[in-house]
Amino acid sequence: MSEAEKAGVEIIAVSPDPNARSHEMAQRLHLSYRFVADSDLAVTRRYGLVHARGGASGEDVPIPTTVVLDRDGVVRWLWISNNFQVRPDPEAVLAAVRGL
Amino acid sequence: MRPGWLVTLSLLISVAAITVYSQLLRVPAVRNNPEGYVAAFAIATTIAALAVALGRRWYGWATLAVSLLLLLGSATFNFVLARIPEAHTTLRVRERPAAFTLPDADGRPVSLADYRGQKPVVLVFYRGYW
Repeated sequence: MSEAEKAGVEIIAVSPDPNARSHEMAQRLHLSYRFVADSDLAVTRRYGLVHARGGASGEDVPIPTTVVLDRDGVVRWLWISNNFQVRPDPEAVLAAVRGL
Repeated sequence: MRPGWLVTLSLLISVAAITVYSQLLRVPAVRNNPEGYVAAFAIATTIAALAVALGRRWYGWATLAVSLLLLLGSATFNFVLARIPEAHTTLRVRERPAAFTLPDADGRPVSLADYRGQKPVVLVFYRGYW
């Protein structure tokens, strides 16, 4: 049984790339993910998480963000990156989920 | 302390910083603290400057030039180029985010509403590459 099933949590990874299949956090925690494509960044934009012209070719890119929602769909933990080298510690995310 | 030892120490610190941050990037403690390499280059520069002050040999100056270059380059990268501007997000703790439906890898629709009352969700926004 994966940790995700044990924790009873669903991970949804959103990126503009419809072919995205892997994520560092998935590999590190061996969790199951659903990868969804936000090709035109409409959802990312609605959430105010777009870095305008932040991409290598000057394209708009998502701001790396991790959100933990409880069973009622309410935000309980939010981490937004301000330096693209820094990622949220997967263990911190898991702790936030377990603390729900 | 002899200038030669200081120069060696300065170079060792620079090499160690470059090695750690290139080989151990997968370790969260390393990756999530990029200011560590800036600090290491600052220390290497200081030690090289001390070496030059104690004995103006060419290798002292050369090491000082290299560490200064590494310090300025890494500081520019970490504090300027790698910066992401503040997000004006609509997400708020203790509030529900706006609903969405997006296709998964098989084209099936996925919505936050699917999980409400069922299980917690970890929502991750990322670039899709890197």
